[in-house]
Amino acid sequence: MAKYICKRILYMVVVFFIVSFFMYVLFNLIPSDPARLELESIKTTLRPDVYNQMYQDLRESMGLNDPILVRYGRWLGFLPEKSGSFNGYLQANFGYSNFFKKPCVEVISAPISTTVFMNIFATILALGITIPLGIWCAVHKGSHRDNFVQVFSIVGYSVPIYIIALVFIYIFAVILRIFPVSGIGTPGANYTGLKKFFDELYYLGLPLIVMTFASLGGMSRYVRSAMIEALSMDHIKTARAKGVKERVVIYSHAWRNALLPVVTLIIGWFLGIFSGSLLVESTFGINGMGRLYIQSLGNHDFELSLFVQMFYTVVSLVGALIMDLVYGFVDPRIRVNK
Amino acid sequence: MEEKKRKPSFLARLFGNRNTQTDILMEEHIQSPGRMMLSNFLHNKLGMFGLIVFLLIFAFVFIGPYLFQIDLGESDNTQIHVPPINDMLTLPEGLDGNVQDIAAGATFGVGCDKDGHIYIWGYTKITDTIDLRNIPEEVLEAHIVSVAAGYDHVVALDENGQIYVWGNKRLGQDRIPQDLRVSRTKGGKNIIQIEAGYQCSGALTDEGEVYFWGNTNMCDLDVKKEYRGRVVKFAIATYHYCLLLDDGSVVYGGLEKTNAFNRIPEALSSDVVDIAATGDTMAGVKSDGTIIVWGNVARHEGEIPEREGTASAEDDEVVMTAKPLEIYGGRYHYTALMENGDVVSWGDNAHHQTTIPDSVHGAQIETVFAGFYQNYAIDVNGEVHTWGLKGHPLGTDDLGRDILTRIINGGQTTMTVGFVAVVISIIIGVIMGGIAGYFGGKVDMLVMRISEIFGAIPFLPFAMLLSAIIGTRIDVSMRMYLIMVVLGVLTWPATCRLIRAQILAEREKEFVTAAQAMGVREGAIIFRHILPNVLNVLLVEATLEFATCMLTESTLSYLGFGIPLPAPTWGNMLSGANNSIVIQQYWWRWVFPSLIFGVCTICINLIGDAIRDAVDPKSIGR
Repeated sequence: MAKYICKRILYMVVVFFIVSFFMYVLFNLIPSDPARLELESIKTTLRPDVYNQMYQDLRESMGLNDPILVRYGRWLGFLPEKSGSFNGYLQANFGYSNFFKKPCVEVISAPISTTVFMNIFATILALGITIPLGIWCAVHKGSHRDNFVQVFSIVGYSVPIYIIALVFIYIFAVILRIFPVSGIGTPGANYTGLKKFFDELYYLGLPLIVMTFASLGGMSRYVRSAMIEALSMDHIKTARAKGVKERVVIYSHAWRNALLPVVTLIIGWFLGIFSGSLLVESTFGINGMGRLYIQSLGNHDFELSLFVQMFYTVVSLVGALIMDLVYGFVDPRIRVNK
Repeated sequence: MEEKKRKPSFLARLFGNRNTQTDILMEEHIQSPGRMMLSNFLHNKLGMFGLIVFLLIFAFVFIGPYLFQIDLGESDNTQIHVPPINDMLTLPEGLDGNVQDIAAGATFGVGCDKDGHIYIWGYTKITDTIDLRNIPEEVLEAHIVSVAAGYDHVVALDENGQIYVWGNKRLGQDRIPQDLRVSRTKGGKNIIQIEAGYQCSGALTDEGEVYFWGNTNMCDLDVKKEYRGRVVKFAIATYHYCLLLDDGSVVYGGLEKTNAFNRIPEALSSDVVDIAATGDTMAGVKSDGTIIVWGNVARHEGEIPEREGTASAEDDEVVMTAKPLEIYGGRYHYTALMENGDVVSWGDNAHHQTTIPDSVHGAQIETVFAGFYQNYAIDVNGEVHTWGLKGHPLGTDDLGRDILTRIINGGQTTMTVGFVAVVISIIIGVIMGGIAGYFGGKVDMLVMRISEIFGAIPFLPFAMLLSAIIGTRIDVSMRMYLIMVVLGVLTWPATCRLIRAQILAEREKEFVTAAQAMGVREGAIIFRHILPNVLNVLLVEATLEFATCMLTESTLSYLGFGIPLPAPTWGNMLSGANNSIVIQQYWWRWVFPSLIFGVCTICINLIGDAIRDAVDPKSIGR
């Protein structure tokens, strides 16, 4: 097992380097010249040949003439800058946001907590509903109520989340006026402590409902099919033949077997809702990572975009790693094979 | 191979006679897997429902663009946020056979009957608070003889020469000149003509004096002294007007020195019998029947139909059957009434305002009322014939564009992008998966690592990034291809893994061993024995992937990183809809695109599920 874990981690590190290099190259395609930018303010006071000389010197000292691999190394903090010091992601220098005029880390601190909170909350809500629902449907397979849920779940996973959001805003915010249309926190109100938390929760209510609803379809279908698979196994027949109570058969004998594929799915799906929350945040105007990312791309604030992109990459890589490990943990064949 | 030849054709299998009596064993025996799948699929009610609805939508968006052509540069400030209505040309009952005057507005019509009652129809809400349907009490009581309609105001004239204005008054639309405020009974002027421009109005007295009032911004509404007292008729365009004088000449009455309307053609200095104006052009009819158009002629207003019988008229569809007597102007079109009681229209036909119904050609038309995109023709029996803009079946958006047209054309884009992306993804996936599954070993290892790298890239953010970085540097159509390629290239790993697993599984099966034992060539084994087994799964995957790609494209467009405006897609039609005002008041802007898109993806998923059930009967109910 230890060998398997090491192997996976090592592999993930390699993938991280490849993907991050790819991102770095991509961002370098953007035509921008920090050296020219630096000299722009004093350009008019200099003679052209002096300016040119200064410009070339500056390019050299900033390391802009070096091959891209070297610059990538510096950006990550593996290779020293021209001045000899290390200053990259490894040294916690995540770039500077030109739009907010702040280091990226400071910009990101508030949105990240909102996004993570939203995603975890939505996951808990969704799991709390889908698992019982999936089991119930599997047990009552073929009944009218099951068919009804199945049709609804097709709607749930076919319709894009932003359409669900529009419909829910219309129903809950415009017609029923239960929730606010958008935003996070009552404007102008300076709540503190518990009151602030509940105010935020009130504003996050509708986005959370939308995110939960959007994930109901796919999840409940998956739980249902895993459960049907488990219920058709021979040991279930044996248990029933022995006269074990139906409740015990379902929740102890069958569910434990169905749990394995579901657990692995949950992690993969948890990553999926990060991109789902991107849409929800932009629709509801919530100040989260997704909205920040869209803003930064729109504002051409590319250092911030790169940082957020790296955040998404790391989240997805770590998620994939955990998924692999769980797979290996629950299914011994995998760790033996590899 | 021999087995295949004996099979009936695909059509015969679909529609052929299957009533031959067979016992269960025979039935079991002759049913090939393909036929079984087909019958499984045909018997799946949900799947068939999905297929039929999808095909309908497909036909709708791929045939529709020929009927509803889109003009990408289109924007019309007179048609902003019009709800789904279809009764802009439907006259109220009271006007039937009793029309005194009709004036056509942008989205509404206003008219009065011979008894002096006023009627208004169509979409009359100008803003939240201003509704033209709220006709002032005094107007309802007065005996109205003439009406005129501007963009957001209505002018009415009663038998006593009193002028009434209602609607939007904020820009001076009701600032009627002092001279005209006195009714005739108290010694006021005798008004013979009223007209309305965009936000301005004009009136002509029987003494040949014209008066203009209203929003003077950008307007040239002053009257030169030398023309005062000589005017017989005036025509008002959006911001300018021209005058027909008592000596039969046409003049530009305003004070502006150089504009498009100033340069009146030489021919119009005498013998002119009628004048009219569209939004940006003016036209005059001479007594010999020649029509001359001048101004900013940009929307085919100058393409006057030829007289019947002339050499150049032979190939034209629309011809003038007689000498034109009177001319009327809409916003971008003209309608002329001819000697023989026939009418002809020309100009911009985006709202069918020049498509004259056949019933009109048969009738003896007495007079025509034209304005904006509407035409009303009254024949000798008092019957009203209408043509032009009836309304927008699904409403319009914030730039006055018809939602139905955009849904149809946007659907075509969305489906094309989704389809091409799926094809790219499937091609890469099949090749990579095939290589990995077939060769195995180190190649397999390498391909799977590559696919995992692609899988590790967070999809949506990355696609947005690519679109933001590369997309800004290329033109719109290239950007569409970019989206297709990005979608295809980023989604292949799933297909690759599926194909690889399938090929690995099939390779180990007995029938492959049997084929190998019989000495079948390697290539034949792959293509004839393994691939058909993979195809079923591939079909399911491709169908579900198609829905996913459409979703992703629309998601990107919704966020503003996909197909850029003004080209419509189902996603970017919704991108302006996520604020409470649109959601609440302009519901048609998001309900219809959402509805058709939701139905479409649901149907595709239903089809995919049905194919899966048909291909693998074991999965039914899972």
